[in-house]
Amino acid sequence: MEDSDWFTLLHAAWTTVWISGISIILGVALGLVVAMLRAAKIPVVSQLLAVYVSLIRATPMVTLVLFLFVIAPSIGWEVDPRVVAIAAMTINTTAFNAEIWRGALTSFSREQVEAAKAAGMTTGLTLRRIMLPQMMTTSLPGLVNEMSLLVKSSPAIAMIGIVDLTRVTNRIAAVTYDPLPPILAAGLLYILIIGGLVRFQRIADSRAKRLAM
Amino acid sequence: MNGFKMIWDNIGLFGEGLQNTLVLFCVSGVLAFILACFLAFLLEGTENIPRKLIRWGLDLMRMLPFLIFLYLLYYGLPNVGLRLDVWSAGFFALITYHGAYFAEILRAARTSLPAGQAEAAYAHGFINSSMYWRILLPQMVMRSGPLFGNQLVCLLKDTAFLSIITLMDLTAAASAVQAKYFVPLPPFIFVIALYWSVTLVVETLLRRLSRRAQKRGLVHE
Amino acid sequence: MNKPTPVVEVRDLHKHFGGIEVLKGINLKVERGQTVSVLGSSGSGKSTMLRCINWLEVPDGGEIYIGGDRMGVKSANEKPMSNRELAAMRARTAMVFQSFNLWPHLTVLQNVTEAPIHVMKVDRKDAHDHAVQLLEKVGLSHKHDAYPWSLSGGQRQRVAIARALAMNPEVILFDEPTSALDPELVGEVLAVMRSLAEDGFTMIIVTHEMEFARAVSNEVVFIDKGMVIERAAPEKFFTNSDSERVRQFLGRYRTTTA
Repeated sequence: MEDSDWFTLLHAAWTTVWISGISIILGVALGLVVAMLRAAKIPVVSQLLAVYVSLIRATPMVTLVLFLFVIAPSIGWEVDPRVVAIAAMTINTTAFNAEIWRGALTSFSREQVEAAKAAGMTTGLTLRRIMLPQMMTTSLPGLVNEMSLLVKSSPAIAMIGIVDLTRVTNRIAAVTYDPLPPILAAGLLYILIIGGLVRFQRIADSRAKRLAM
Repeated sequence: MNGFKMIWDNIGLFGEGLQNTLVLFCVSGVLAFILACFLAFLLEGTENIPRKLIRWGLDLMRMLPFLIFLYLLYYGLPNVGLRLDVWSAGFFALITYHGAYFAEILRAARTSLPAGQAEAAYAHGFINSSMYWRILLPQMVMRSGPLFGNQLVCLLKDTAFLSIITLMDLTAAASAVQAKYFVPLPPFIFVIALYWSVTLVVETLLRRLSRRAQKRGLVHE
Repeated sequence: MNKPTPVVEVRDLHKHFGGIEVLKGINLKVERGQTVSVLGSSGSGKSTMLRCINWLEVPDGGEIYIGGDRMGVKSANEKPMSNRELAAMRARTAMVFQSFNLWPHLTVLQNVTEAPIHVMKVDRKDAHDHAVQLLEKVGLSHKHDAYPWSLSGGQRQRVAIARALAMNPEVILFDEPTSALDPELVGEVLAVMRSLAEDGFTMIIVTHEMEFARAVSNEVVFIDKGMVIERAAPEKFFTNSDSERVRQFLGRYRTTTA
C-alpha cells in the first residue's frame, strides 16, 4: 500500500470521526429532550415518541441510511449524502440515548426531589440544579457505550457514497487488487477510535459509581 | 403505482429477503450463544497466557465494526488462500462477532456470582467442567436475560450489512424493489415494519422466558 | 389585643391511600415558638399528617394554613395552586427527613446555600456567611467542603437541619429525624434540636424518642388510627393522661425500656 493510500485512509478516518461526532453530540442532546418530553406525559406526543424509539431501535443503520437517501429527493431535500448520513445517524442514536436518559430520569432518587420540593424549589429548578447534574454523571457510561456502538455502525454510510473509511478501502482495493492491507488498516483506525471511547467509558464508570452513596 | 400493489406484486422478493434474514438471525443467534458458552468455559479458571489471549481477542472483536470484520472474511481471506462464499462469510462473521459479545455478557455475569461455589473448586486446583455447565452457566445466563435480548436485536440489525456483499436479505429486497419503481416509501416502510415485528417477537419471547424463570425462583428482580 | 394567628393550622384533615382512610379528621394548631411533638404507633398517620402540611402529600379533605395563608389551594377560587405558588408556600416551611435526603453532588456548604441562593434569591455572599454560621451552630464548621458520602448519619442529619434553617422558615417539620440513625449518633442530633427549641423556633416533630419529647416539647400530640386522641402538656401526657389508649401506648413503651 502506498503512502498516498495511507493519507487517503487517514482523511477518510477523519470523515468518519467528524460525521459521527456531530451525530453523537446532537443525539445526546435530542435524546434528553425526547426523554423529558416522554416524562411530561403529554397526550399524543408521548405515544408517538414511544413508537419512534421502539421503531428506530429495531431498524438497522444500513436500512435507515438507504431509506433516507432514497426518499430525500421526494421531500425536496438537498441530497448531500453527508447531510443524509448525519440525519440517519442522529435519528438512530437519539432513540438509544432517549432510553438511557429515560432510565436515569425514572430511577432518580425520589427522596432528593422531595427535599428540593420541601425547600421550595419548583420542578424546573429541581431539574436544573439537582437532577440533571447527577443524571449526566450516572448516564455517562451508557451514553459512551452508545457512542461506540454508533461508530461501529458508521460504515453503513459508505453505502451512499460518503468517502469514509469503508469506502476508501474499497477504492484502494479496486486499484491495487489487494484488499487485505487497506481493510486491515481501516480496521486498525476504527479500533483506535473505539478504543479511545472505551477508555473514556471506564473513566465515566468510576465517576458514576462515586455518586451512588 | 399503489404502494400495497407494489408490495404484493413483489411479495416473493420480500419473502425471500425475510426468510434469509430470519435464517441468518436464528441460526447465528443460537450458534453464537453456544460459542459464547464455550468461550466463557475456556476462560474459567486461573489466569494464564491462553486465557489472556482469548480475552484480548474478545476485546478486540468488540472494538471492530461488524462490516470491517465481514470485509476481512469475504474480501481479505482470499489473500491467504481461503475463499468464502457470501453465505459462509455471513454466518461465520455473525457467529464469531456476536459470540464475542455474548461471551462478554457471560463474563460480566460470572464476576457477579457469589464467591463461595467456584472458589471451593479452585482451592482444589481445578474446575470441574460439569460444575461449570450445570451450576455456574445457568446462573450466568439467568442474570443476563435482558442483555441477551439487546444483543440479539443487534445481531438482527447486523444481518442487514450482508446486503452489501449482495446477499438477498430484507434490506436488499427493499433496495431492489425501490430500484424497480423508484418509489422508495412503500418497500422500505414495509421492511422496517418487518424488522420491528421480529424485534417485538424476540422481546416478548424473552420476557416470557424471564417471567417463567422468576416464578421458579431462579431470578429475582 | 388580637390573638396572633397560629403558624400552622390543620382543620379536619382527611387523607386516604387506595381504599384505606389514613387521616380521619385531624385538627391541630401550632403557635409561634412552640415545640410540638407528635407521637403514635407506626401506621397511625402522623408522618402523613406532617407531609400534608407542606403538601408533599395532597389531602383529600380539610384545610391547611401556614401563617394564616391557605396552603395548596388558591383561597380565591378553591382551585389547586400552580407549581410556582406551591413552591413559594413551601419555601416558608422547612422539612428534616428520616433519611436526610442531602444532595450528593454538592458539598456540605453548597447543600446549605443551594435553596437560599436559588429559591429565595439571596445574595451569594450573604447566603455563604449565613451557612457558615448555621454549620457552626450544628457543630460542623470543619466540614464545609466535605461531600455527604464522607459523613456519618448523625453528621448528615445535622447538615440537613442547617439546610432547613437556612431558609429562615416559619416552621420546621421533623419527620422521624433520628429513626434511621445508629443509637450512638442519635444524641448529637437531639442536642441540636433541643438548642433550636430553646432558641424559640417553631417546630413540629414526629418522633419515637419519648424522653426527648417529654423534656423538650411544649405540647405532645398523640395520633392513633388517623385521629388526634390527646393533646396535652408533656407532664400531663406522660404521667396522668386522660386517655386509656395513651396509657396503653406508654405502658408498652415503659416495658420495652424498663
